[in-house]
Amino acid sequence: MGPLPSITSAQIESAIADVSDVQEIGRGGQKLVFSAVINGSRYALKILEAPGDDLESDETEFDAGSDLIIRARREVETMRQCKSRFMVKLGPIGLTQVEINGQPLVYFTEELVAGNDLHHGYVKQKKTLSGEEVVQLGLQMTNAIEAIWQLNKVHRDIKPGNIMRRENGDFVLLDAGLAFDKQGESLSGGWPVGTPIYFSPEQFDYASRRSVLDFRSDIFALGVSMYELATATHPFFTRGDASENIYSKIMKFSPPEPHTINHQIPEDLSRLIIRMMGKSPHLRFRKCQQLIDRLNAVELS
Amino acid sequence: MSLYLQHGHAKSTRITDAYKDGSANGVIFSPRSEKLDNLNQYIAHLRGSGNYTLLMDPQFHICTQSPPKDRYLPEDYTYYQAGRVARDFTGAAKIERYARETLDFQGNMNLDRLLSPTVILQTFADRWTQIAFQLAEASVAHHATMASPRPLNLSFVINESALDSRTSVDQFLDELTTYDVAGFYFCIVRDEATYTQNFEPDRLAHLMYMTHVLSELNDFEVIFGYCDYLGLPLSAAGAKAFSTGWSQSLRQCHGGTFIKIDQRGRRPRVRYSSSPLLNTILLSELEQIHSAGRLPDVLSNVPLDSEITSATSPESSNWNERLAERHHWQTLADVDTTFGGATRGNVHGLLTRVRQAQSLYIDLATSVQFSRNTDGGHLMEWEDAIETFVRIASP
Repeated sequence: MGPLPSITSAQIESAIADVSDVQEIGRGGQKLVFSAVINGSRYALKILEAPGDDLESDETEFDAGSDLIIRARREVETMRQCKSRFMVKLGPIGLTQVEINGQPLVYFTEELVAGNDLHHGYVKQKKTLSGEEVVQLGLQMTNAIEAIWQLNKVHRDIKPGNIMRRENGDFVLLDAGLAFDKQGESLSGGWPVGTPIYFSPEQFDYASRRSVLDFRSDIFALGVSMYELATATHPFFTRGDASENIYSKIMKFSPPEPHTINHQIPEDLSRLIIRMMGKSPHLRFRKCQQLIDRLNAVELS
Repeated sequence: MSLYLQHGHAKSTRITDAYKDGSANGVIFSPRSEKLDNLNQYIAHLRGSGNYTLLMDPQFHICTQSPPKDRYLPEDYTYYQAGRVARDFTGAAKIERYARETLDFQGNMNLDRLLSPTVILQTFADRWTQIAFQLAEASVAHHATMASPRPLNLSFVINESALDSRTSVDQFLDELTTYDVAGFYFCIVRDEATYTQNFEPDRLAHLMYMTHVLSELNDFEVIFGYCDYLGLPLSAAGAKAFSTGWSQSLRQCHGGTFIKIDQRGRRPRVRYSSSPLLNTILLSELEQIHSAGRLPDVLSNVPLDSEITSATSPESSNWNERLAERHHWQTLADVDTTFGGATRGNVHGLLTRVRQAQSLYIDLATSVQFSRNTDGGHLMEWEDAIETFVRIASP
């Protein structure tokens, strides 16, 4: 993977018809993220590098060998197909090739959610959500996980950094770029992808032991995120931990129940979060609806 | 928590007697033991006479055994064909056909659940496990196409040695919990043919763990066939029902359950089932207990105890095999009814009973000579198993 492309707002406006008022929002992973006005509304515009030979090809399909392109296509397809209102929506422009400043690129647009993600807005600042908000987060993200699983996909990168809040207070899940298609080909050769401190135990050993990898991995990552947002503490990671420590802790360590750290968290919610982080998929929930029912039953004072 | 009767040869009025006694409200039919016409007529009779839960174990798994103990299966039950070997399970079309034929057959009967076809698993890692999963998947897929089918329970027939490894059990559970079905029907194949309540503690703990995970954590209904006393810890761990029958071969299954073996049956000695001892003892042992003045300590306090207490002594009573059977079911059902709450309380209650039974055996040891199979040796294993279960499951 090469460095992120270096382009300006003005170059984008001149290269892509119908976009105006382009502003850079950030750079993350393999993408540049801008906001731009299209048909009078503002959207997020995501740009990533495309392999050079793509643009020289006569074929309308992108080079299937390019992992980056395949992942971008999966992200776009997941957004297009996912029926959950808590999954970020695809914008008016799907995956499109462009050359800017001599660089072969691809871009797509999606719903622009203003503000910080939960990592920057809460985790980094050691702020917590209320018990009621943690339940809301659980319900809405489980709805998104269920909708992604209905597409036979696993998101694989659920974490506070990929969750934002809309102005109406709803949580919204971003970045399905790592979504794993159960029927599709592995792009990682079985090597785990995602953010290790939110990995489920089975994500660590999926390749070697052919264990089950399904939506219950996403439930695990959501549990870790809810724990972190309920307590301002990561259940398995302490700054300075070596990567082998993370593996060992996720596989074996049982974190204290959230309500023992933050007394505002109801005990039944606390136990639910712990169960979501069960070491085996069979210890979590076999259906998203089962978890939704339990979250709805949490007694909030 | 319910007690079902495991149907077999010579049912007579046993099933309806147990129902009238209030001890068993369900039946798991054995097609190899009954001609199809008779079975359908009998099902109609039961439907008209009570609120029974009726299932039929298709006994598909017997088809791979040689020589199979399959009596009426080949002639009357069209989904069954003896002599199947591993190559008969290669290819999706064959697997789908087995699933379709087995479920459609049951769909035409007046049953409350459909049970999938399966094969016998020696471990959770051999090729037969993959075949069992393929049959399960094909059954789920076919069930989804059936018009208004009864709920589907996936069957698994598992050798007890497969329960040795916790890691294997965990992986098996990860797979089982991916199925969107009503529940599971398990038969555990015992290593020994001898009727015994003994069970290696880790294996029993893992079986309780399986039951707890599937029932309490994942909301599946879990039913065990051929269980007898062993059904009590499984019921405490969350099983919806377990079955037992009127002969040793219906209370516990082992390799010989499915294979024809030339063996001479011995008429069983008359026994008494004691809930305080969590065991079935010989009538002669009950007589010794009576002579020691300890009879009230071992009585199950179920209705048929009156046959014993109204006589001057157990051996002078009219106690016989049929009464002993019905009393046995009353006793199991009576203990089972105490498991109505959450697993934690059930298991704690069972552990208390096990320890009380151990103390009672120690008290009685000075005045009663128990035989090897009635001396309560299983209680220490059960205690270990329950403690291990509590440690690994934290119910």
